[in-house]
Amino acid sequence: MLKKSSIVSIILTAAIFILLEVAALSMVIHGGELQNIWISRFSHSVMNTLWGSSESVRDYFSLKGQNEDLAQENYRLNLQVTRLRQALGQEGDGSDIVGDGYAGEFRFIPAAIVKMSRNKQHNYLIVNKGYEDGVRPQSGLITSRGAIGIVEAVEKHYSYCISFMNSTFNVSSRIGSQGAVGPLSWDGRSSNKAILHEIPLQTIFSQGDTVFTSGYSSIFPPDIPLGVITGSGIQDGTMYDIYVTLLEDQAALRYVTIVDHTGRDEIIPLEQMEEEDDEE
Amino acid sequence: MRSNRFFLIYLCIVALQILICNYLNLSYYLTLSLLPVIVIMIPVRYSTIAAMLIAAASGFVVDILGDGVLGLNMLAIIPVALARKGLLSIVFGQEVFAQNEDVTIKKYGLIKFISFIAIAQALFLIIYILADGAGTRPFWFNALRFGISLVTGILVSLFIADTLAKDYRER
Repeated sequence: MLKKSSIVSIILTAAIFILLEVAALSMVIHGGELQNIWISRFSHSVMNTLWGSSESVRDYFSLKGQNEDLAQENYRLNLQVTRLRQALGQEGDGSDIVGDGYAGEFRFIPAAIVKMSRNKQHNYLIVNKGYEDGVRPQSGLITSRGAIGIVEAVEKHYSYCISFMNSTFNVSSRIGSQGAVGPLSWDGRSSNKAILHEIPLQTIFSQGDTVFTSGYSSIFPPDIPLGVITGSGIQDGTMYDIYVTLLEDQAALRYVTIVDHTGRDEIIPLEQMEEEDDEE
Repeated sequence: MRSNRFFLIYLCIVALQILICNYLNLSYYLTLSLLPVIVIMIPVRYSTIAAMLIAAASGFVVDILGDGVLGLNMLAIIPVALARKGLLSIVFGQEVFAQNEDVTIKKYGLIKFISFIAIAQALFLIIYILADGAGTRPFWFNALRFGISLVTGILVSLFIADTLAKDYRER
């Protein structure tokens, strides 16, 4: 028979085990909550200071390739602008992009990635622009070939962003320029693969079709090419899951553009009103 | 003095684990953790409660300073600390507690030691991989990740356990 002191010891051990596990579990469960962002910000700022130099070294050794990509992109964009102006019969004076990177309803801020996780289920990235540069939470991160993430928390000079390679992230996307719309999310394994969900069975599409952002969100502008269709499967007999190879390899990025919808402050209250109506 | 030397090595291995978490992301299928081996190698005279508190603190530090979901390492390593004395008893017998001595590969043999490390690694990896995937990854992916991580973890852990054992033998 167990001695009284042994029983007390077992109970105490079990109690401490449960307490520690509950603490750990609550930390894991509340991974996306404000407390976690606060702690993450702290840990990431420590990490930025301590480990950020490794990203600088990586940046340095990939500068040549990045410059070539940027030069090509610049050339292509200039060519597009020139052709559009010629088609409209206008001379180029740079007035289509006004002041500090404004274009229509969106404001664009170029940024560099200073830290990025790649091999996790919930990946994140930190960019070198913060509220002092005009970045606001819930802004999008894009390149000319993809949607990269969403700004989650903003510090003075840095912003913490949820990556596309995160199981909680999806982008409203459209097949072609007129096709069906559904949420596009990371496949959880490769840095350049994604799945377009909830596409009705009557939708006509074929391999090689391009998937674009739909514009049905207050975060990403419409018509950004995201990827090409490589296959499909029927989900629960009611919808297609369409497999997409992304144009942008999310793990190899160095530079992004932060995009801020200037009308979002008006759109969000309207969305909230709609949600409240639905609840009633 | 003996404990001081052990915990100095312990802290070095925790620091190494932080570096691994930040820099050694070799593959989606490989989770290399040194925490299980250093937790089960905590000297026998330390109680389960002490081992759990040390393990929780180590896991928390790795979570805070390493990449990944906060609390994940802490969640997975505490059960290893809880199971530590039971594992010692099952694999090496009651004599470990009777003599109050630390376990070494030289004294108990490689097979027993591999079993000891494998069970601890497996316990850690099952919890870690399931919590990390959060039900979003297919079974085959988790199984493959578990298998690769277990084999790699055992090999690296044996090296660390041998280093710690050398420390005991030298005294």
